[in-house]
Amino acid sequence: MTNKEKYKKAFSTLQISDSLSWEVKRMAKLKKRQKMKTVAAFIAACLLISISGSAAYAKNIGGIQRTIQLWFHGDQTDAILDIKNDGTYSIQYSGEDGTVEEQSGGGVAIEGDGSERPLTEEELKEQLDSPEVDYKDDGTIWVYYHDQKIDITDKFDNDDICFVKVTEGKETFYITVSKEGSWGFSGDKYMQPEEIITEPEEPETNSMSLDGEEETYSMNFSSK
Amino acid sequence: MRQPVEELIECYKNNLYAVAFNVCKNQMDAEDVVQDAFIQYYTMKKEFEDEQHIRAWLIRIVINKAKNLNRTFWRRNKRSLEDYMGTLAFEDQESENIFEEVMKLPEKYRIVIHLFYYEDYSTREIANILKLSESNVRVRLSRGRSMLKKVLKEAWENDE
Repeated sequence: MTNKEKYKKAFSTLQISDSLSWEVKRMAKLKKRQKMKTVAAFIAACLLISISGSAAYAKNIGGIQRTIQLWFHGDQTDAILDIKNDGTYSIQYSGEDGTVEEQSGGGVAIEGDGSERPLTEEELKEQLDSPEVDYKDDGTIWVYYHDQKIDITDKFDNDDICFVKVTEGKETFYITVSKEGSWGFSGDKYMQPEEIITEPEEPETNSMSLDGEEETYSMNFSSK
Repeated sequence: MRQPVEELIECYKNNLYAVAFNVCKNQMDAEDVVQDAFIQYYTMKKEFEDEQHIRAWLIRIVINKAKNLNRTFWRRNKRSLEDYMGTLAFEDQESENIFEEVMKLPEKYRIVIHLFYYEDYSTREIANILKLSESNVRVRLSRGRSMLKKVLKEAWENDE
């Protein structure tokens, strides 16, 4: 028996759950993520929110619930943000077709000594108030930042990469978008395509500096 | 071209799961990664050249997502690799030993070994998928093989 045959025999024991097909359809159609997963300083949910100054506080099981103004695809809408003490959050809002949508995310920060802690509420808000890239079902690709809506479908270079700069007031974001579905942004400079498409060997590009220096975030998928 | 996602799931779900598991070393994470990859395919409407292009794309997406997940510091209560292996029905002890020793390899060797021995990709194809040079892939493959040979001894042939 060859090594390949032995290898295949050994790894053919791995079988995935049978419910996968149904789950994929359900998740894709609901356009929401099932699980809260983040990398350091990266929040999986790609909603853009702006916290209103007159937030209404209400105690909720495990966290604080508040009414916020949510930027969603360039439009502002009311939403309920529920921030838990463990650095996770969930958002409920009315979708484009009037149905109630729910999205969740979370994150941890790495302290200077290497220890982890949940993101604070302020850090979560900061993360949520950031640009979004949306790969639409009709094949078009859009960048959203607050009320800015940019169709970048035809703006990709020969390597299927598009660089977009969005500015509002003092805030500027440099967004690198791959046609294949990966994107990342920084407030300092454009991330290189290899940083958002193929992960480098060392994890420093996905780290967040907590001392006010450059912060970069990359995400390998668009949460819809 | 596009293929219905249901067909792709049937064709590739276990292969992609094996790729994801090879990186994540965790059942739940690997399943999440495969699910995310299919969702990305389903929602993106990207056009592909042929079925092999789709397969390679899915594998690359799975590897990237799995690597991303490995870098998260978001920890769930995970079942250990040893516990999970206890649930797998290996055909014989040799298969279990190979599985166990492969999973002990450093990630960068493990992925190359898996794509070569399980997915039957050439070093050039692996280089394209992983965005590495072909010489780098050859080095990783060679080192991975040497490590396996060292621990598996007669159960692993010299196939340099």
